[in-house]
Amino acid sequence: MRVELLVNGQERVVEMPPMVRLLDVLRGQLGLIGAKEGCGEGECGTCTVMLDGEPVNACLVAIGQCNGREIITVEGLAEGEHLTPLQQCMADHGGAQCGICTPGMLIAAEALLRRERSPSDEQIRAAVAGNICRCTGYQRIVISIQEAAAARREQSEGPR
Amino acid sequence: MSVTDLPRFDMVHPESLEALCTLIHEEKERPGGVAMLAGGTDLMVEIAQTGSRSGPLPLVVDISRMAPLRGISFDAGRLRIGAATTYLEIERSGLVQQHAPLLCRMGQDVGGPTIQARGTLGGNLATSSPAADGVAAIAAYDPVIVLRSVRGERQLPLAELQTGYKQSSRAVDEVIVAVECDPPPVGSPWIWRKVGTRLAQAISKVAMGGVAVVDEGRISRFGLALASVAPVTCLMSATRAYVLENELSAVSTAGLDAAVERDVAPIDDIRSTRDYRVHCSRAVVRAFLRQLGASV
Repeated sequence: MRVELLVNGQERVVEMPPMVRLLDVLRGQLGLIGAKEGCGEGECGTCTVMLDGEPVNACLVAIGQCNGREIITVEGLAEGEHLTPLQQCMADHGGAQCGICTPGMLIAAEALLRRERSPSDEQIRAAVAGNICRCTGYQRIVISIQEAAAARREQSEGPR
Repeated sequence: MSVTDLPRFDMVHPESLEALCTLIHEEKERPGGVAMLAGGTDLMVEIAQTGSRSGPLPLVVDISRMAPLRGISFDAGRLRIGAATTYLEIERSGLVQQHAPLLCRMGQDVGGPTIQARGTLGGNLATSSPAADGVAAIAAYDPVIVLRSVRGERQLPLAELQTGYKQSSRAVDEVIVAVECDPPPVGSPWIWRKVGTRLAQAISKVAMGGVAVVDEGRISRFGLALASVAPVTCLMSATRAYVLENELSAVSTAGLDAAVERDVAPIDDIRSTRDYRVHCSRAVVRAFLRQLGASV
């Protein structure tokens, strides 16, 4: 099946059997290995990507359901070599440790920050509730996302 | 089947509800059958995990973006939720927030955000798992399930749709189009309780949805359903009858507990035990009755 996708802002066309998982297309044919396969059953969140702006588990999406849709993976966050404030905050505040959950965590957090300018800790925890992390105890991730929200607010308001 | 079998599947995208009904009717004798695919939260996992099951593969019919199966409306007191509407869409719907707030609250507890963005009420009804949070929540509103086939449309109460553990009376060539219910007046009391191992990504040990209308010390409408305590979504008929037959002041802990115990029939399994589920069932139902003003 021919599937047209907008992946990280670029139009891509893949020819794939329709039930192949979006995750396999991203990591295989499209060479985007940021999204990881953890559990392969929608439990762990490390394959999280944005599908039309909403975070989904790429292991549960069939490529045949994706024609004409927009996908954003972790590779689509940074501009060139410049990390986004969210990525920088995850690095600076210990939100990224072993790194397995990080691609999915970043996408889940990015989706939240696009929707909520000043999220509460509770909203942050709810937004990443589908992303399992075994390193951080989550608190550093919450702190990182709060710092990223503050950085984004500052960026959009400009210097005072 | 396993992930390596995925390339062998065919997928069809019907253009209309009529085309879908015709297709699933014509293909109903097909070896392997037809699998209607919405959010994929069951089918994709099942395919990946079923091991080396041999035999013919089902024809996959993608219904996830079919307009007639999607969307939420409210007209003349009746709330209609398209079967392929996702839990995230239900959660964010102003109409649902206003008329059926229980469903919004439940939506936040289905899996995590990534599952809410994909999972659908119709999918949970089609697989007929008694553990489905969404079905227990909508069951409190005493809904009808709208089914469509080449033979036309029919509406079934939930009790007639769910016929046993993961069994339903939906014909193989029928599609669930929507769920409809008449919610109680805006502002009526409701409850959602989910008991799981953790807040997110947990299948319920016990979950409960309830709605009520209270008039001068008496409950005039009472909808209650529990997940994961019976082979089907438990509609709590004895408890409903007990609560409706008694003034709130006459509802006793012993009477209520006895009714709950008549209704539920849980099992020991990987998530919990029979005893704990009975205990939780009593506890959550009492909590709802306390909220309504009973001394239990």
